[in-house]
Amino acid sequence: MASLFNAQSMLDQPSYSFAQPTSHSEPRQHSFYPYTDNGGSTLGISGQDFAILAGDTRSTSGYNINTRYAPKLFKIGGDGPNNTGSKIVLSVVGFAADGRALKERLDTVVKMYKYQHGKDISVGACAQRLSHILYSKRFFPYYVTAILGGIDEEGKGALYSYDPVGSYEREQCRAAGAASSLIMPFLDNQVNLKNQYDASQPQGFGKEPLKPQPLSRPHVESLVNDAFTSAVERHIEVGDGLQMMIITKDGIEETYAPLKKD
Amino acid sequence: MNHFPQAWGRPRDDVYGQYNPSYLPQSHGGTQQPITHTQSPIVTGTSVIAIKFKTGVVIAADNLASYGSLARFTDVHRLKHFNRKSVVGVGGDVSDMQYLDRLLKSLDVEENYSTGSHTAEESETDPAMMGANNLHTYLSKVMYKRRSDFNPLWNALLVAGLDEKNKPFLASADLLGTTFSGPTMATGFGAHLAQPIMRRIVPDEAASQQLGREEAVQAVRDCMKVLFYRDARSMPEYSIAVIDEKGVELKEKEVLENQSWDFADKIRGYGTQTV
Amino acid sequence: MTSIGTGYDLSNSVFSPDGRNFQVEYAVKAVENGGTAIGIRCKDGVVLALEKLVTSRLLKKDANKRIATVDRNIGVVHSGLLPDGRHFVSRARDEAQSWRGTYKAPIPVSSLANRMGSYVQAFTLYSSVRPFGITAIVGGWDAETDVDVDGAVGSGPKVGAGGKTKGVKEGGPYLYMIEPSGLYWGYYGAATGKGRQAAKAELEKLKLDPKDGECISLEEGVKEAARIIYVAHEDSKDKDFELEMTWISAVNGPTKGRHEEVPKALKEEAERLAKAALEGEDEDEEKMEK
Repeated sequence: MASLFNAQSMLDQPSYSFAQPTSHSEPRQHSFYPYTDNGGSTLGISGQDFAILAGDTRSTSGYNINTRYAPKLFKIGGDGPNNTGSKIVLSVVGFAADGRALKERLDTVVKMYKYQHGKDISVGACAQRLSHILYSKRFFPYYVTAILGGIDEEGKGALYSYDPVGSYEREQCRAAGAASSLIMPFLDNQVNLKNQYDASQPQGFGKEPLKPQPLSRPHVESLVNDAFTSAVERHIEVGDGLQMMIITKDGIEETYAPLKKD
Repeated sequence: MNHFPQAWGRPRDDVYGQYNPSYLPQSHGGTQQPITHTQSPIVTGTSVIAIKFKTGVVIAADNLASYGSLARFTDVHRLKHFNRKSVVGVGGDVSDMQYLDRLLKSLDVEENYSTGSHTAEESETDPAMMGANNLHTYLSKVMYKRRSDFNPLWNALLVAGLDEKNKPFLASADLLGTTFSGPTMATGFGAHLAQPIMRRIVPDEAASQQLGREEAVQAVRDCMKVLFYRDARSMPEYSIAVIDEKGVELKEKEVLENQSWDFADKIRGYGTQTV
Repeated sequence: MTSIGTGYDLSNSVFSPDGRNFQVEYAVKAVENGGTAIGIRCKDGVVLALEKLVTSRLLKKDANKRIATVDRNIGVVHSGLLPDGRHFVSRARDEAQSWRGTYKAPIPVSSLANRMGSYVQAFTLYSSVRPFGITAIVGGWDAETDVDVDGAVGSGPKVGAGGKTKGVKEGGPYLYMIEPSGLYWGYYGAATGKGRQAAKAELEKLKLDPKDGECISLEEGVKEAARIIYVAHEDSKDKDFELEMTWISAVNGPTKGRHEEVPKALKEEAERLAKAALEGEDEDEEKMEK
C-alpha cells in the first residue's frame, strides 16, 4: 500500500490499515547449499562432416571418487529409453544431479518434437531449445556447462557451447569443466591454430598466421586423446575413463578407453 | 470520503488505532516466522556400505542412531526391505528415513493393487515387478525434487538389488539428488574408510562379476569392523542383507566377531605418525 | 412388481408408503444377475473367490482380474455392475491410504467395512445419485502380533509402560459383506451374485464357526471355495466361466500377511478336485435314478 497511499498526499488525510505485504521481501535464511561440484571435464570438436564429444567418466565429491564410471555424455532424442537412432549428443559437466535433470528435460522435449511434427528436430532448433531450458532457471540455475553436438542441415558437424544460464554460441571446439583451463588453450592452438605461423616465411612483424583447416576424424580423435591424457596428469578430478561419441550422418559411434585411475 | 476506493467503509486509524496484523499469516501481511525447512540433520545414522557380486548384492549398515555425539538409539534398522528384488540402505537423518520408509510402503501398496502372486516361484518371471533400478530412479527423483524445493531429505541412500533383468544393481542417491553407481558403494565415513578396502577386492565391474557370494559377505563384514574401529558414531551391532535371485535375506541383529584392538595403542595422531 | 406406476420407485430420497426404498431394491436386482462371488473365513486366513462369466471369446483368458487389493492385507470381490465395483474399490483404497496417513498403520478390516458401509449408504439418501449396483465382500487379515507403526525404527521398550502385555492376541481373519443399502455384517462365509443360494447352502455345511470346534484350514478353504463356485455355476452351465481366487494368511502363513492370488499349482489342484466332486455327484444321481 505504500505506493498507493503516498506519504505526501496522505499527510492531511486520515490513514487506514491495510495488509502490509512488506514482510514478504525479507530474504529467507538457509544454511542448505543446493549445489555440489562433481568434477570431470568434457570437450567437443566439430569437423567437416562429423562432431566429436568426449568426457572423462570420473565422478568426485571433494577428494573422494564417487565412482569411476559416470558418463557425462548423453544421446538426445531417438527412440525409446536407449535413444536408438539419435543424432544429437549432450555433454554436461558440473553438478551431476542438475546435469541429469537437464538431459532428461531436453530428451523429453526432443522426443515430443518428433511426436508432434513427425520429423527429427534440427540441431540448431535443439540448441536454442536447450538455451531456453537453461534460462528458464535463470534465478536457480542448472549448475552445469553444457556442450551440444550434432550434424546441421547442410551435413556439417555442429557444436554449441553454453554457460549455466543459457548463453550459447556455435563453435569449432570447446572444453568445459574442471580441466577446461588446461584443455582449451591446447585446443586453441591445435584446432584454431592460434599463435602458429608459416615457418617458411621470414621472421618479423609481417608474419602470416596459419589459417585453420577442417581436421580429419583420426586427427581429431588423437587430439581428444592427447587433451585428456594430459589433463589427467595435472588435474585430480579428471581420470578413470574416456568416453567419446562421434556423430556422423549415419548416427552415433560410442567409444570408451581407460585413463589413469590415480 | 476520498478517492481511494480501497479505503471506503474501512475503519480509520485516527478513530480506531492502527490495525495489528502480526497474528495474520505471512501471506496476509502477518509477521509470523517464515516457513522453515530442515537446515541440518538431528538424529543420524552413519555409513551404509555395499558390494555387488556375481549374482547379487550385499549391503550393510549398523543399528545406531546418534543424537550428535550421543549414541541415542541402539536398535534402529536402517536397511529397508522393499520387495524381493530390492533393499534400501539409509544414512543421515532418521526422521527423514522414517518418512522415506512410509513413502516406500505406500508405493509398495500401490504397486500391488492388481492382484498378483508374490510367492517365489511365480514372481521370478514377473515383468511387472519393480526392479531395484526402478526404485532407485524413483527415490533419486524424490531426493532431487526436495533439494530443488530447498527442503531436502537429509539422507544418503544406497539402493541394492536386482534390475528387471535380474542383474545385480547398486546405486546411490543423496540429499542433493546426485546419483551414481558402481561395483562397490559407501556413504558417509564409509566412503573414506570402507570404499578403499572394497575397491581393493573389487576394482571394477568385471571383478564383481567374478566375486562369489561368501567372499562378498565376508568383505562387507570386514569393512563393518574397520568402520567400528575408526568411526566414533558407529556400533558393533549391525544389519546385513543379501539380495540375489533367491530373494532377500535380511539379518538385523548381527554382531561384529573377532575384534582385535591390538593396533589401537600403537596409533599416534591420525595413524601416519611414527613416533 | 407392485411399485410400478406408483411413482415411489423413481427416486432415492422417496420412501414408498410401506416404508421401502425401491431404488435400493432394484440395485439388489442388478447384483443378483452378477457372477457368484464368495468369501470364506478360515482358521488361518481368508479366501475370496469369483465366478467370472466370460462375456466374449475375444477376451484374453485369465486377464482382466476382478478381485482387487485395497491394502497389503485386504482384498475385495464384488458382483453386480462392474464400473460400480471399480469405484467402490477406488474409494476403499483411498480410505485405506488415508487411514495409513493418519495412524501410520494398516486399516483394520472392520474399520474399512464400516467406512465403506457408510459410503455406500450415503448413495441411498439423495435424489441426485443412485445406489451402488454391487454387493462387495471384503476380506482381510488384521495383524495379530504387535506391528510397528509404518516407518518405526527400533523395537521400543521391552518392559514397563509402553511395553508389551504377554499373551494378548488381537487381530486374525475377518470377512465382511456390504450390500447396496449400505448394510454390512461380518460373516464366517459370505456369498452373493447369481448362484448365492446354492453357494450359501454349501457354505453352511462347512465348519467355519470356532464355537463348533476346529475351523477348516486356509488350504481346505481354497479347495472348498473352488468347489462352491463350480457348484454355484451348475444352474448356468451353458455359459463359460473362469475361476478367480485370492487368499490372505497371517504373517507366518503362505502369503506372509498379504492379499495375493492363489498360486497356480494350488488353484489348478482345487479346480481338479472341484470338477471331480461335481462328477462324483452326477454319478451318485445317476445311480439313484437307476
